[in-house]
Amino acid sequence: MKLVMKQGAKLVAALILGTALAGGASAQTLTIGVRAGPDSMDPHWSTLGGQAEALRHVFDTVVMADDKLQLKPGLALSWKPVDPTTWEFKIRQGVKFHDGSELTAEDVKFSIDRIPVVTGPMSMTIYTKQVKDTKVIDKYTLHVTTRAPAPTLPNDFIRLFVVPKSVGMEARNEQFNSGKAAIGTGPYKFVSWSPKGDMVMERFDAYWGEKQPWQKVIRKEIPSDPARMAALKSGQVDLVNYVPATDYASMQKDRALDTFISDTIYILNIVPNVKESLPKPAKVDGKDIAVNPLRDAKVREAMDLAIDRKTLVRVVLEGLGRPANQLMPANFFGGSKNLPERPYDVAKAKQLLTEAGYPKGFEMDFYCTNNRLPGDSAVCEALSQMWARAGLKINANALNGTVFFPAQQKGDYGLWMSGWGTLTGEASYTYGSLVHTADAAKGLGAFNKQGYSNPEVDRLLEEGSAAMDDTKRRALFEKASEVSMNDRALIPTVQLQTIWAAKKGMLTFPPRVDQETLAYEIKPR
Amino acid sequence: MTGFFIQRLLQALAVVAAMSVIVFVGVYAIGNPIDVMIDPASDQALRTALIKRYGFDRPLFEQYFIFMGNLLRGDLGESFIYRLPVTQLIFTRLPATLELAVCAMLIATCFGIPLGLWAGYKPDAISSKFIMGLSVLGFSVPTFWVGLLLIMAFAVELGWLPSGGRGPVSNVLGIKLSITSLEGWSYLILPAFNLALFKLGLLIRLARAGTVEVMSSDYVRFARAQGLSEAKVVGLHVLKNISIPIVTVFGLEFGSTLAFAVVTETVFNWPGMGKLIIDSITVLDRPVMVAYLILVVLLFVVINFIIDLVYGQLDPRIRVRAAS
Repeated sequence: MKLVMKQGAKLVAALILGTALAGGASAQTLTIGVRAGPDSMDPHWSTLGGQAEALRHVFDTVVMADDKLQLKPGLALSWKPVDPTTWEFKIRQGVKFHDGSELTAEDVKFSIDRIPVVTGPMSMTIYTKQVKDTKVIDKYTLHVTTRAPAPTLPNDFIRLFVVPKSVGMEARNEQFNSGKAAIGTGPYKFVSWSPKGDMVMERFDAYWGEKQPWQKVIRKEIPSDPARMAALKSGQVDLVNYVPATDYASMQKDRALDTFISDTIYILNIVPNVKESLPKPAKVDGKDIAVNPLRDAKVREAMDLAIDRKTLVRVVLEGLGRPANQLMPANFFGGSKNLPERPYDVAKAKQLLTEAGYPKGFEMDFYCTNNRLPGDSAVCEALSQMWARAGLKINANALNGTVFFPAQQKGDYGLWMSGWGTLTGEASYTYGSLVHTADAAKGLGAFNKQGYSNPEVDRLLEEGSAAMDDTKRRALFEKASEVSMNDRALIPTVQLQTIWAAKKGMLTFPPRVDQETLAYEIKPR
Repeated sequence: MTGFFIQRLLQALAVVAAMSVIVFVGVYAIGNPIDVMIDPASDQALRTALIKRYGFDRPLFEQYFIFMGNLLRGDLGESFIYRLPVTQLIFTRLPATLELAVCAMLIATCFGIPLGLWAGYKPDAISSKFIMGLSVLGFSVPTFWVGLLLIMAFAVELGWLPSGGRGPVSNVLGIKLSITSLEGWSYLILPAFNLALFKLGLLIRLARAGTVEVMSSDYVRFARAQGLSEAKVVGLHVLKNISIPIVTVFGLEFGSTLAFAVVTETVFNWPGMGKLIIDSITVLDRPVMVAYLILVVLLFVVINFIIDLVYGQLDPRIRVRAAS
């Protein structure tokens, strides 16, 4: 027994020593605990947010986006339309790939051609679907012809990663994951990664941009919120993203930690189904009614008026949000600054419902996800209570995304809430998909499952999407935003905010509205 | 013996077939996996093209027979999400889970059986009451909560151990293990202990109940009368006689620990198979779900087979019956 104790004490001592040694990493290493990581090291595999975020360290995109999602030069120094259906991209000179070869327009062309061949179920062809053909004019000039005038092509290219032509058309996920083909021009060289595991990178000294302060960057994928917070508090990681609202309050008081807050591009929108009849009829006095009450603009307005957005933010989201009055932040391209803040007025809501012929309200089901965005199910349930004050019986059902999305696609829902992020920073991405009439031939309204159709909005969006002139396009999109929001095609509720936390005084961190945590924008302090 | 083995194998095949049907029908009932995976910016044409490419437009039975055909050729398919062979995906994570499960079972057994024996041998002692109290805590307190407490205590407050993840691995006969270094152990010990708690409580109670019963039996009295030392009475006769239920539970628990250690793996961010299967379910990555469950079925069959062999070793009567 004594012997065992002695051995045990030795073991404990050794364990402590072991961790102490492991924890003594150099100051030049940045370890980040992220909630989600990539699915592959092939930058053309998936459009997943975590994928783009991780791969931006190794690969560069043709166009880049600043922290407010507005365009800035990337591997292309400049771009301009030479005729309505041709864009000219001037490629940056002297850019080196990690294998030492030089970037040319050929590599960019190859990357565009490669996408349809290798991309997976989250298909990256959405960023190249406007491209008809690419032509290399000289070593540093590329012409991209489009199927129709495509003023938003540069916005699409903020997700166009460039790989060297030398990797060949045959390279797939396995070759990229092993590192053999993971050759980019980015600030960090790929070292190792496996699905759901740590992504390890090393500084690329011949990087064309600013010299990087970190010798080594490790992105640890820690999906569980408490585990990620514990990793920060125990010093295992230097920075974490997606701090839960419940931890934020205590972290602000913690003298060992710094916190960073930022608006996100994600807005929770209520979607009323305005088709002729609902998949499941609404009820008045417990009896099914034949008409769809949501078709009445007064009903939609009443539902909007009954929402107390300030309370949603302050109580339900614990302060981490802002009231929203349109589907994307107003400062994005095509966002409207004329739209007023949405008022909260239960009395008026009740009056409108009476005018619409529902003095006693009506009853229907309301669906949302419970695992996609922070606070989604809480907001959903709070909304149901707010509507109850206006006399409506709206039954909230918060479901797992795995169940919610297929049913929403099938058109099983009459009223639902879902989050939407304007990833490209401009209006056609959002309004073209959510409020334009569903039209498979035009490829528009793909996520307009609510059956909203307004010829004026359609016209504004289509004209805008073809207008090469920025000022004209912006005006058309602003108008489309205003008309569809006043129609309440969707009812925006709150714009979410997000939190990062880091070890006290260790680093400076400029938060991004797209929530990406990029090591090359972080500097030691 | 061979007949017995073949019978077990056939049973396993039947279970695998039934289980794969259930997964296919289940995923089909939930909806189209493309709708879960697709990017919101996609248009209708792209959605249709993707559904066609992955074969979701075919009737369910056709999808199933294509899968079975590939399975008979030994091909379990590729993950939708990673485009890697599912076998590769699962087997790269198997060593991590195996390491964790074996370590947890060792902790549970090495502490659980002696403590249970003691509590059964001296049922009225204060120490025994204390042990029994602990065992109740072991299986009544939720794993994730204990896990978080352990992290708060040993990683955040004391800073002795890392809060999660797996230590550096080295190659042992082609398998990547982290138990070869002390640093590896520093990562392993907390999750293993966390995972062991429930089993520890269970084994203590099983061992105690058996011991209390056996201690009053005739052969214990005879053994004592024969003048055997107490250590020999308990260590040989009692232990052997309480072993059958313990081995059964041990086997089942080992199987479920391997297959469903997901709570501990999540809390400690342990890169095992449990996390893989949960993530695959949330995105309806059907090939991974099916392959994983097939593996679990085979695992349980093998474990049960080994248990049957161990029974024979422990109790000669079972051997005699099987032979006749």
